[in-house]
Amino acid sequence: MKIFSNKNFVAWYFVFPVAFIHLFVIGIPSLASLALCLTDWRGLGEINYIGFENFIELFDDRYLKKAIINNVIWTIAFLTVPVGIALTCAYLLTGIKRGQMFFRLAFFFPYMLASVINCQIWKYLFHPIHGLGGFFERIGWDFLAVSPFTMKSTSLFAVAFVDGWHFWGFLVVIYLTGMYQVDNHLYEAADIEGATKFQKFRYITLPMIRPVFVFSIMIIIIWSVPVFDYVYILTGGGPAYSSEVIANYMYSQAFERFDVGYSSAIGTLMFFYVMIIVALFGLFRKAGWDI
Amino acid sequence: MIRTIISFASVIILSTSFSALAKTKVTWSMESNADRDPIMIEKLQNAYNNSQDNHELVIEFEDNETRLTSMRTAMIGGMGPDIVETPGPSYVKEYHAAGMLENLDSYAAEFGWKDKMIPWAYSSGVFEGSLYAIPKTHESMVMLYNKTLFEENNWKVPTTLEELEDVAGKIKAKGMNVFSYGSDGWQPTHEHLVGIYLNNYAGPQAVYEAIIGEREWTDPVFVEALELLKKHMVDEGYWSGSLENYYAIGWDDFHAQFANRGAAMMTIGTWTFQATQLGIGASDDEWGWAPLPSLSSQSPDPNFMIAIGTTMSVNANGKNKDGAIDVLNWIMSNKDKVLDIAKDFQFGEMVVPLTLSSSDIPTDIAPQVQDYLSEYARITGEGNYGYCTWTFWPADPGVHIWKDMEVVWAGDISVEDFLYDHQKMWDKARKNGDTLPVPLRN
Repeated sequence: MKIFSNKNFVAWYFVFPVAFIHLFVIGIPSLASLALCLTDWRGLGEINYIGFENFIELFDDRYLKKAIINNVIWTIAFLTVPVGIALTCAYLLTGIKRGQMFFRLAFFFPYMLASVINCQIWKYLFHPIHGLGGFFERIGWDFLAVSPFTMKSTSLFAVAFVDGWHFWGFLVVIYLTGMYQVDNHLYEAADIEGATKFQKFRYITLPMIRPVFVFSIMIIIIWSVPVFDYVYILTGGGPAYSSEVIANYMYSQAFERFDVGYSSAIGTLMFFYVMIIVALFGLFRKAGWDI
Repeated sequence: MIRTIISFASVIILSTSFSALAKTKVTWSMESNADRDPIMIEKLQNAYNNSQDNHELVIEFEDNETRLTSMRTAMIGGMGPDIVETPGPSYVKEYHAAGMLENLDSYAAEFGWKDKMIPWAYSSGVFEGSLYAIPKTHESMVMLYNKTLFEENNWKVPTTLEELEDVAGKIKAKGMNVFSYGSDGWQPTHEHLVGIYLNNYAGPQAVYEAIIGEREWTDPVFVEALELLKKHMVDEGYWSGSLENYYAIGWDDFHAQFANRGAAMMTIGTWTFQATQLGIGASDDEWGWAPLPSLSSQSPDPNFMIAIGTTMSVNANGKNKDGAIDVLNWIMSNKDKVLDIAKDFQFGEMVVPLTLSSSDIPTDIAPQVQDYLSEYARITGEGNYGYCTWTFWPADPGVHIWKDMEVVWAGDISVEDFLYDHQKMWDKARKNGDTLPVPLRN
């Protein structure tokens, strides 16, 4: 019994409630999903073991391939546009003494809104009748006459834009926090040496905030895998699968086609993909990267 | 005096409590709709509860998507509502296969349900020879048009493909959209249009043969039907002006577009009658309806596609199966009460497929709806009916027909390839025994 009153064991008491809930909400369903991917279960009734049939079907599924490519495009888009804008804005904000809080709040505000609200705002803005397109059309311009969400060529980027718009303020805040940790003496020394603003950013700010920056890259890569809500609300993955992503496709298989076994197989793929990313970051850390 | 009042009140309270206690609760999970819910409470729940002393019906309204998921989860766990409401036979099939629904054969025989219902609608609930579901509402697809606008321009309501394309040209020349319709908020809207073109181009007989497996979906007649739909949708922009606008426009917008002369016609299901009456019906324009035009010589006569909107079943694991049966029997036995509910929705909802005579049709509904009910009964009675996809297609091909149609419209795959995939899904469904009941054709 002594072990339970051991000082080292106390931490487990605090972890236990969360671990217990996680076991039921995440652990058991995840294990069940791993088991279901080898079955033909349709969400009701009999569960039949079918071996690796679902995985064989996966590799032949042209829409899943499309969804994977879209996820990759999505990841690249998020690793470049919001990161670039957030880094620039955070750096510029560090130079603002008055009214900085206003900008921080303004940039962060979309992140505080529910995804449904963000989506509705942009859906209405791009609506061909009620939105900007309708407004411009009434004054004789064809600009935005067609919603970018409903065009095959633009739907994925339009959804990524809305999600990025909501997300980049979060990046600004974490970058800004990192930038405030940088020793001011470094900038003063650089000023004495006559460094430009860009040189200070390139040679002082960026290297000094590397742990925060790499962390943001890691979460972007991981969060890009299960991206779902913005796609589901704005386009449902359409038109013609042009904005389809893996998580939305998995949802569609489970709740539209009732192919729970197949859907679980997609989930299993996602799980392994995320595990590989996490393992890679772990290896980098072991190799001495300051992450 | 005070003592008398207190005694009297106590008697009332006690008797009410005892009567409530004596009643057993029957639960019904129903799709929520802000306009419909109060009527369902008043004319279904309260009317039933007041009609007898044994059971107390409690309708639980919930957003349909959430409701279906939560009901499914509850039923997997051996619970769920006593009355199981589903969006159609493909859902009934799943629940039936999992052994979650009560066999209704003995009750149907005892209460004579079969004689009270339209035969095809009754058979839509028969799985492996036994009755498991009763339609709560049945429906069809129609073509609505702005009658005032048509009269002003001397346009003829189209009955053939040539007439449709002719009047479409004239409508577009006036700067209006041919049809008001869109899929925003409900992607399965596509299947309404696919169903129209399959039935009215290839013809109901060909569709029936494909459903029962005597004809392949890759048959040239179906290819031509979907090529024509693609032409009208993508090249001609019949629906809301363009494919992109069709994707961007939802229920409120397309009703507004039809009401304010943004479009001259609308292809839609009969569930819209109430919204149409409240929309264009409240404007200065008069609306009319017509059967969907014949699109080829293979489908020369007007036909109505038959469909089940929602179904009612009894949960095999329900706590009060007797109560659930009693509620269903009350619905089947009180034609006047059911018609009174349907009347409030302009026969767009709660249209239980009971056999009706012309004298049953209420006179205090929109004249267009009265006219539709008579014509629907006459034409389907003559055997001229087609098949809606959401009632006669198994789950997988049913989703394919609306989900992947966008890929055809986008030009990513050909109609032939689409129908090849479709046939493969039907083959698989047939092999797995997932096909749905279809009434025998005369």
